[in-house]
Amino acid sequence: MKITRRFGLALAAGMLLTPFVAQAADNYPDHAVKIIIPYGAGGTTDTSARQLASQTEKLLGQPIVVENMPGGSGANAMRAVAAADADGYTLIAATSSPSFVTPALRPVGYDPLKDFEPVLNYSGPYHGVLVKADSPYKTFEDMIEAAKSGTSLSFGTAGALGGAHLAFTSVAKQSGGALQHVPFNGASAATAAVLGGHVDISLVPAYRDLVQDGQLRLLGVLDGSRDPEFPDSPTLNDLGYKAEFPSIVGILAPAGTDPAIISKLETAFTKAASSDEFKKFMTKLGQPVRIMSGEALKKTISENFYAYQEIAKEISK
Amino acid sequence: MLWDAFLQLLDLWIVAAALIGITTGVIIGAIPGLGPTMAIALLIPVTFAMQPVPAMILLLGVYQGAIFGGSISAVLLNVPGTPSSAATAMDGFPMARRGEGGRALRLALFASVFGNIFSCLVLMALAEPLARLALDFGPAEMAVLMLFALLVIVLFGGGSRLDALIMVLVGVCAGIVGLDPISGTPRFTFNSFAMESGFQLIPVLIGLFAMSEVFLQVFNRAPEVRADVMPELRSSHVSVAEMWRMRLTLLYSSMIGTFVGILPGIGSTVPAFMSYSLARSRSKEPETFGKGAAEGIAAPEASNNAVTGGALVPTLALGIPGDAVTAVILGAFMLHGLAPGPFLFEKNGLEVYAIFEALLFSSIPTVILGLLLFRAAIHVTRIQPRHLLPAIAILALFGAFSVNNNLFDVWVMLGAGFFGFLFRRSGFPLPPLLIGLILGHPFEQSVRQALLTSGGKFAIFADSPITLILLVLIVMSITTSVFVYFRSKRSGRDG
Repeated sequence: MKITRRFGLALAAGMLLTPFVAQAADNYPDHAVKIIIPYGAGGTTDTSARQLASQTEKLLGQPIVVENMPGGSGANAMRAVAAADADGYTLIAATSSPSFVTPALRPVGYDPLKDFEPVLNYSGPYHGVLVKADSPYKTFEDMIEAAKSGTSLSFGTAGALGGAHLAFTSVAKQSGGALQHVPFNGASAATAAVLGGHVDISLVPAYRDLVQDGQLRLLGVLDGSRDPEFPDSPTLNDLGYKAEFPSIVGILAPAGTDPAIISKLETAFTKAASSDEFKKFMTKLGQPVRIMSGEALKKTISENFYAYQEIAKEISK
Repeated sequence: MLWDAFLQLLDLWIVAAALIGITTGVIIGAIPGLGPTMAIALLIPVTFAMQPVPAMILLLGVYQGAIFGGSISAVLLNVPGTPSSAATAMDGFPMARRGEGGRALRLALFASVFGNIFSCLVLMALAEPLARLALDFGPAEMAVLMLFALLVIVLFGGGSRLDALIMVLVGVCAGIVGLDPISGTPRFTFNSFAMESGFQLIPVLIGLFAMSEVFLQVFNRAPEVRADVMPELRSSHVSVAEMWRMRLTLLYSSMIGTFVGILPGIGSTVPAFMSYSLARSRSKEPETFGKGAAEGIAAPEASNNAVTGGALVPTLALGIPGDAVTAVILGAFMLHGLAPGPFLFEKNGLEVYAIFEALLFSSIPTVILGLLLFRAAIHVTRIQPRHLLPAIAILALFGAFSVNNNLFDVWVMLGAGFFGFLFRRSGFPLPPLLIGLILGHPFEQSVRQALLTSGGKFAIFADSPITLILLVLIVMSITTSVFVYFRSKRSGRDG
């Protein structure tokens, strides 16, 4: 009696497990996939990831559940996903700061290079170098010249030790200009501060309308490539500095996920992200669509992780 | 323009959207831990299929409703549904305990509507110039304003000033935990990742006010209210004349709410307490405050509802949201093709004015819904506390967890509850602690930002007309309270 029951259980378990073991990738996904958003509900990362999820679930044939896990500037969610089962059912919509900025500065409880397998990059707002429209500095060079000739210029960012702060600290080092960092509580507060003339420069995203309205002037962008809406504004690299703050928003899976599953996910997400529907949605939200393969994203993350570690070392000197 | 916009509102869907929005908002606001931010964020996908105007009316209805809804649980249970309604509980709950819960709720409702209408009118008439004014508030101005707010709470909040000062400092110290706002290094985190975000406001609030109430009752040997001495439900009538008598309180409170709402990053809790303190210091019978004074309910409610209109000013006119709620609303506007910022009024003037007018007219359904809801809600005061306590405890646990889906916040809530219990047992006031926690971190940040921009010179705090006016106000409030103190001492000796 006992034996038969145990045998039956084993048989049932065996039957349940076989497909997982033998053809996990072929049957993937056979239940809902979870994407964790490292920020609160309603923000741009959340809203765009929800749209991408709702388009991709049609292609995957299984629902995609979006879950918010804010806190620790995104590090809490990254830690949770790093520790999750690498079965392709737990993913994260990661941004620059928890992927390569914060981990380069202090222990966060995960390794951004070893603990994750990038799937693709699909967005990332351009960060601009902005001054008030009535500022005497017409170009980036003007500003650096002024900073070199005695006037200390203040620059506002969305927060201490963010990517923008570190990239600009590197610019100050390379040019020898006096640039004083003033961290604010979020990009909106930093934008308000430059508009009100409380800081000379702000390094913030979402500047399009204020620049087009003639309230702010865009001197350059921190990304590795130019903002297609303002093709005349140079990148830091164009200006001759070895510094950048590439903004990423991409999907990562825990390291050790079956490569076949990763490639399945990459195909589906890339198809959804390159659709006109997604592009239209993102344009309304004021966000660019920037598609990058998992391989390329992996390279961006590791290159910048090492670069930021170097800058962090210099700052702490 | 205004008339065209009004004609847009005469649509069944728009009326339905306003009704659904307000009802949802009131219910969600009344549940501790579920603030307007979460309610709006969850409803945004629902509005995807809707036209822009009804969609925004639905979401803004939730915002307005949630701010008011928070006061229902504050008045009836002494558990503020949203942080901003903590001030309403100070007089609302004692009034409800006297059996006048209905009156307290009506006062809150009418004051809320007044604050709402006031701030909507300001928003419609002065959005752009006021947004410019908000930009003039840089780090130095914000620092002096926050100092003034802290001072007002200590000097005019009622009770012993030393006690209030101690509690403010406890709050400020609790706010130090987390990442340093300027250098980004961890402070007092004991190498714990969870502590890096500091103590979140909502778990602390729920712990201080709701959980401590549970502890108090549990450790109270003789239950406070017995079935046979439950308060009779008394008439809940509020006359027009009574509201008229409070006209100046309502006006000042709405002005404080609207104005502080325009400034980024302060939120609606601080203006609510500032208005409460102002009403108390202007009152002829300040001793009734804290025991169920009508103005003690009206002032914070007018103020925290007026914040909604004020907070929309920089959000819509500049595309710069002041707090989490308006940031979510900003996203919703963008998704519906109404990109906030300098071009909003030019490009979508008609839609925007239609939305503003809807905000104004939504007072009508708010009053009707409120009055209907009160008939049922008021009976909560007839439930014995010991039957309510389990429900409050469960709400507190869920509320703390739901903020960040994080168990650490639950421990913070329980810890805050225990400290709240100790403080209440020993007679210390909790509101100054809350204000210290809310303002401590941003105050430190603004002071240090201002000094960074000025190259370390303290002169920046007396540099602009705004800081000078605020410094004069600070000196005036200190001299007034010193004067009142000596006068009351002398008259005490004479008598």
